Amino acid sequence: MAKVLMKGNEAIGEGAVRAGCRYFFGYPITPQSELPHYLAKRMPEVGGLYLQSESETAAANMVFGAAGAGARVMTSSSGPGISLMQEGISYIAGAELPCVIVNMIRGGPGLGNIAPAQSDYFQAVKGGGHGDYRVICLAPASVQEIIDLMQDAFDLADKYRNPVMLLADGVLGQMMEPVELGEEKFVQPPEKPWAATGRKKGGPKRLINSLYIVPEECEQHNLKLAKKYAVISREEQRWEEYHLDDARLVIVAFGTSARVCKAVVDRARDEGMAVGLLRPITVWPYPTGVIKRIREKVDRFLVVEMNMGQMIEDVRLAVEGARPVHFYGRAGGMMPVARDIFNEVKKLYNGGAEQ
Amino acid sequence: MLRDVKKITLFTGNLGSGKTELAINYALWLKNSFPRVGIVDLDIVNPYFRTRVMREYLEQRGLQVVCPPGELAGADVPALPPATLGVLEDERVHGVFDVGGDDTGATALGRFKPYLPEGSFNMYFVVNTCRPFTRTAEGIIKILRSVEKASRLQVTALVSNPNLGRDTDADTVVAGHTVIEETARQLGLPVAFAAVEENLAREVGRRLPGVTLFPIKRHMLPPWLKDIQF
Repeated sequence: MAKVLMKGNEAIGEGAVRAGCRYFFGYPITPQSELPHYLAKRMPEVGGLYLQSESETAAANMVFGAAGAGARVMTSSSGPGISLMQEGISYIAGAELPCVIVNMIRGGPGLGNIAPAQSDYFQAVKGGGHGDYRVICLAPASVQEIIDLMQDAFDLADKYRNPVMLLADGVLGQMMEPVELGEEKFVQPPEKPWAATGRKKGGPKRLINSLYIVPEECEQHNLKLAKKYAVISREEQRWEEYHLDDARLVIVAFGTSARVCKAVVDRARDEGMAVGLLRPITVWPYPTGVIKRIREKVDRFLVVEMNMGQMIEDVRLAVEGARPVHFYGRAGGMMPVARDIFNEVKKLYNGGAEQ
Repeated sequence: MLRDVKKITLFTGNLGSGKTELAINYALWLKNSFPRVGIVDLDIVNPYFRTRVMREYLEQRGLQVVCPPGELAGADVPALPPATLGVLEDERVHGVFDVGGDDTGATALGRFKPYLPEGSFNMYFVVNTCRPFTRTAEGIIKILRSVEKASRLQVTALVSNPNLGRDTDADTVVAGHTVIEETARQLGLPVAFAAVEENLAREVGRRLPGVTLFPIKRHMLPPWLKDIQF
């Protein structure tokens, strides 16, 4: 199939449809509104349902309901809207339901602005809502990767009966890149014997619930969830390596920041500096394995983010003090500029041990 | 091309068809022949990659840039600057309008209908056949009609802009242009010109003889292609 020029937000919509998603509930917010806009047109073409909810709180609960009935379902928003959804996301995780949630991060905190940011990292990977739960979190860095990851997002959600979040920023949502869509094939979601689809004359009772009123039972539920999260942590870490083999300084960055850092690595290599890039594709589970593997071979790490330093905590947890971990970030909707990161790299690279 | 220039040129089209790039390139091109050229950012749809982010660059090149002022440039509210009327009413100014995408964006244009008497303007509908909803004549016509309805104005010509961003080659342009010519025939409208990146102009010109080509430069770049001169 011929290539198409798509915005990241449109690619999420198309990727979801191709992954068999037939239900979308959401409420518009910049910079992700092209996604509901796209699905409002596209869902009717495939016999799906697009519904604009009255609020993000409602959207999250509509997702809860549809997921409980076994549907492949998605919602999307940006920062403030995702905050409103947190109660529902916690319920969905508690009830072990599969769904996909998209966050196209904008500048914050509070109302912030409509410019791109990565400042919802903590919210996405450290909980966000209440209770002891995890959300599988994918961080694409290009429009093509968005298309490719959408299928995985729905498959992972079903495989582990767990919410999956696609974490990106406004730039990825708004920019246009050529994408290869591939053949459109009908995707039959897996059987969901647990789904509440009606007893149909004496079938088994099925209940979708996150209420465990007896503490002993709730603890058992938490232990069961923890076991699942441990499997996910072990099995599902994903990352991209760029010139890591001989790197003495390793930049760690995800999403849009990683795109900028790639240009920095190229430039550093041109100047003979052994610099590499590690780009986490899953930010939960965090790719700690690769960091543990390389940490003894490198001199130092530099974490680059569009926030004041959030993912750096996960890098430090993986480095375990073996090497210095430095930070460069821009915040509030400002983008890190390749030239500035390069200067930081040069300073650290030449600074040697006294840094 | 020059003989078809009207006082006002409106660039409409579907979301992501290339209106902003074309409006910028067209306004800069007009400036070569006319002393006063204004470019109006009427985009109330797109939050990023709008004419307003190019303000300084365009003003340095002598264009009058009409867009929401400084602190409002990033506001998430549809604000239209009052200076828009100046561009429409001042007879000495040639105005280029970058209209927001789809019927939603074109709604903002309808408000200026009383200032746009028939014959005083070209209303271009920009088509990129590599975009999801405008790959066929049927899809193009559907969006064109919705833009006309929302703006209460008639499209006067199509502008051919088939591209895949950085992956564009001559084949992309030639194949897309063929669809756009056929669409124009069905609509009974002319194709004003075909936009093509400067480096492809020669080859496309050879393969599309008789087609008016408008060589353009891309200005709206993602952040990793900007500020990489170290």
